[in-house]
Amino acid sequence: MIYKVISKTEFNRFLDALVGNNTAFGPCRVESNIQGEAIYQFRPVTSAAEIALEYSVTASSAKHFFLPFREELSRFMFHGEEWEQLVACEADPIVLIGLRACDIAALNILDDVLLNGNFPSPYYLARRKNTFVIGIDHLPLVDCFCKSMNHHTVPTGFNLFCSDIGEEYYLSINSSKAFSFLKEFESREPGTRENRLLMERRNLIKKSFQTEIEVSGLPDILDIEFDSPVWEKWGAKCLNCGSCAMVCPTCYCYSVTESFACNQQGSSRQKTLYSCNLVDFAQVAGGHNFRPKNGDRLKYRYYHQHRGFAENANQQICVGCNRCGRTCLAGINPKDVINDLRMEKESCTTGDSSSPTSR
Amino acid sequence: MKQTLYTFEKLKIASFDFTCCEGCQLQLTNRESSLPDFLELLDIRTFREISDEHHQDYDIALIEGSISRSDEVERLRAIRKQAKVVIAFGTCACFGGINSLKNRFPPEVCSNEVYSGMAVETLPVRKVSDIVTVDLSIPGCPVTKEEVERIMVRLVTGSQIALPSYPVCVECKQQLNTCLFELGELCLGPITRGGCNAVCTTGKTPCLGCRGATEEINMAAFLELVRHRKFSPEECREKLGFYNAFEAFLGHET
Amino acid sequence: MHDRRFVIPHQPVKGEEFNSSVPDFNRRTEVMQTERGYASIITSIQPLTQQERLFTLRILDPLERARFSFRPGQFLMLELPGYGDVPLSISSSSSNHEFLELCVRKAGHVTTALFRCSEGARVAIKGPFGSAFPMHEMTHNHVLLIAGGLGIAPLRAPLFWINEHRQHYLDVTLLYGTKEPAQLLFTPQLSEWEKNHNIQVHTIVERGGAGWKGKTGMITDLFKDMTIDREHTWAIVCGPPPMFKVVCSSLDRLGIPMNRMFVSLERRMHCGMGKCCRCMVGSTFTCVDGPVFDYWSIMNLKEAI
Repeated sequence: MIYKVISKTEFNRFLDALVGNNTAFGPCRVESNIQGEAIYQFRPVTSAAEIALEYSVTASSAKHFFLPFREELSRFMFHGEEWEQLVACEADPIVLIGLRACDIAALNILDDVLLNGNFPSPYYLARRKNTFVIGIDHLPLVDCFCKSMNHHTVPTGFNLFCSDIGEEYYLSINSSKAFSFLKEFESREPGTRENRLLMERRNLIKKSFQTEIEVSGLPDILDIEFDSPVWEKWGAKCLNCGSCAMVCPTCYCYSVTESFACNQQGSSRQKTLYSCNLVDFAQVAGGHNFRPKNGDRLKYRYYHQHRGFAENANQQICVGCNRCGRTCLAGINPKDVINDLRMEKESCTTGDSSSPTSR
Repeated sequence: MKQTLYTFEKLKIASFDFTCCEGCQLQLTNRESSLPDFLELLDIRTFREISDEHHQDYDIALIEGSISRSDEVERLRAIRKQAKVVIAFGTCACFGGINSLKNRFPPEVCSNEVYSGMAVETLPVRKVSDIVTVDLSIPGCPVTKEEVERIMVRLVTGSQIALPSYPVCVECKQQLNTCLFELGELCLGPITRGGCNAVCTTGKTPCLGCRGATEEINMAAFLELVRHRKFSPEECREKLGFYNAFEAFLGHET
Repeated sequence: MHDRRFVIPHQPVKGEEFNSSVPDFNRRTEVMQTERGYASIITSIQPLTQQERLFTLRILDPLERARFSFRPGQFLMLELPGYGDVPLSISSSSSNHEFLELCVRKAGHVTTALFRCSEGARVAIKGPFGSAFPMHEMTHNHVLLIAGGLGIAPLRAPLFWINEHRQHYLDVTLLYGTKEPAQLLFTPQLSEWEKNHNIQVHTIVERGGAGWKGKTGMITDLFKDMTIDREHTWAIVCGPPPMFKVVCSSLDRLGIPMNRMFVSLERRMHCGMGKCCRCMVGSTFTCVDGPVFDYWSIMNLKEAI
């Protein structure tokens, strides 16, 4: 890693050069909700001016740049009795600007699941290799809980990471490409002052979290509480709409469908991102559904997010961005579900005092 | 001729319209780029919009529209006798559709309003499955040609035919839309069957549920959402009743 | 006009190096190839019952054919172009590098389409995938194989293995139960194994009907007349999910340790590579951590049986 300091105006010139010469995406204000709060999404951008660098959070994560909601896995072409299978998984280079530390942490988790297993995914790999990631730090929103997941800072997984130290950005340069691009712009070595400002910035971020979730020991709590009534309670609220998984930066489960071309001279295998909350996720041929109840399906999403699977060494894959909590129309969010599961409320009230009502 | 991997036969198909706008049948001529291939799938026996020939030896019958007269009932029963596969085609055929709004008024009020006193026979509007067994439903107001094409290919090739079992929200989120509830609208997306690519909500029009209820909807949770967002029960009932597609769930409201 | 200094060059994925701890017959290191199936031809279709057929497949490319090797208990994904793929346990001997046998029940839409295919049709196969029965660890022990219904299909591979290495195993017993006599598969082959490979075969059916001279009852009834050397017996159990619990708890009572009982699970799979999450059982995936699990692991997995 190489560290540099760059003025905000010079950084904007750098962004302009990058955005003007490549396909680029960055946070843009798309509209306001009825409370008048700005809503942001990652959108195509052609100049630095279009990028809302001071944005709060995008409603949807940047996952779909790496795992498109729909993509063709392969294609069969029929030739008489024979066929050939075509697998195309190359991706064009893109620049992705303004990812948060937790969003980049999510990419590192996806790397772990999709590249480090027995069957590395060529589709994900192509996109990951061809995406130039520029991260930028921010002060947490009231409901961010990435600190609890230890993803409020990210040491790797980006080309360039910018920390806001006032008039300037403190840059962490993690790729030769980023380094050589920056050579064309005016930047300097950080000195004691800038290092101190960076530490102050990081401390401020760390201290600004208002939402914390106790996740230690959660994997075995999820096993122990597998039959807890908590799941039924939250399951009763769940609309089974799958929105949480769509906006999540790490939900990667999918569905494969194969269909003939209209002229029947070939066929296509399509992958669609799916969600364990959707009704037929665990349905098998013949109609049996291993998870027929709302609560069972909701539980599985938490199980995957917070228990982790053997495939990624039983690590939790939630990064704490709370996009699922914000998007859920039924008001289901990780903080409340997990606290409920840990019986946090009871343990608070039954702590020292024998009569909680007397407080 | 060279041996092929699979051999398929064309579908002997007929299309019939009942009480409707015939807009769904019109959809069949969309997606021009694949139209020649699409027509190659079909051996059209009867289809008054595109052909003046009428043959009675069809296997598959597309039924568009709801049923609102006694002669329609007879005609539908005769089609059922001939067809091996009856497809309810479009929202009117599947649920009754907009025509069902008529059922809220006495029949004479309706015919007076439209035909100003002429003696016109009219029955309360019914969906196709109220009268004959339906083998397959393709909902939508109008149907999506892409979905019709996919289903016809699957009928020809004998592949699995299934409508998406997830709600509109999935595809709406995939379009990176802002949730219409966030914009103060009452949207039926969370309980309506997806597969429309969220075309209405992407255009900022709340979903009215033309594709009907998706599998295992949580109506209680949806009504709780409606209450929580301060929409009136009347407004909700109005939306749910628009296409008559949530008939089975309206009892929950009280 | 682009300023070439700031254009990000395209990076191809070919030639990527991935470390793999397992033998590379699955082309895992050739990252581009994991989605590609081996083109194979259906060389014969043998009807077994109304709903079940034995398909024999041959990989067309001689190099790929030589490279394809599997261990008893593993499965493959058979893809019928246009219709989709379906996970199937490999039913033939792992030493047979010429042909692969798959015992298929007509259940879903892919298998229904497969039943319409005739000999000579070309399909794609991917795999082998998943875990295997620990045949090496079982040597110098008794092996008890228990099959219910179509559970006989995944048991053929370990049985072939045992026959080919018969001297390394002590007593080998196959308990095989179905609902009706007509559903008993491979009976001539089983009697041949009984005669020539010293495999004890006991069959039982739930409903015998006229003409059935064998035993009638549940598969667990066969345990009654058995003496089990609990110190030296390994068990393999395959069958419909409700059978696992009944049979495994009976074996548990008979004293066979849970980590010496193996079962093979079935789930819907969309990838076979631990990615789609459709086959998750507890915190594992049936496709990569299974389908073969020991009973102790199963007991620790939520929703397994």
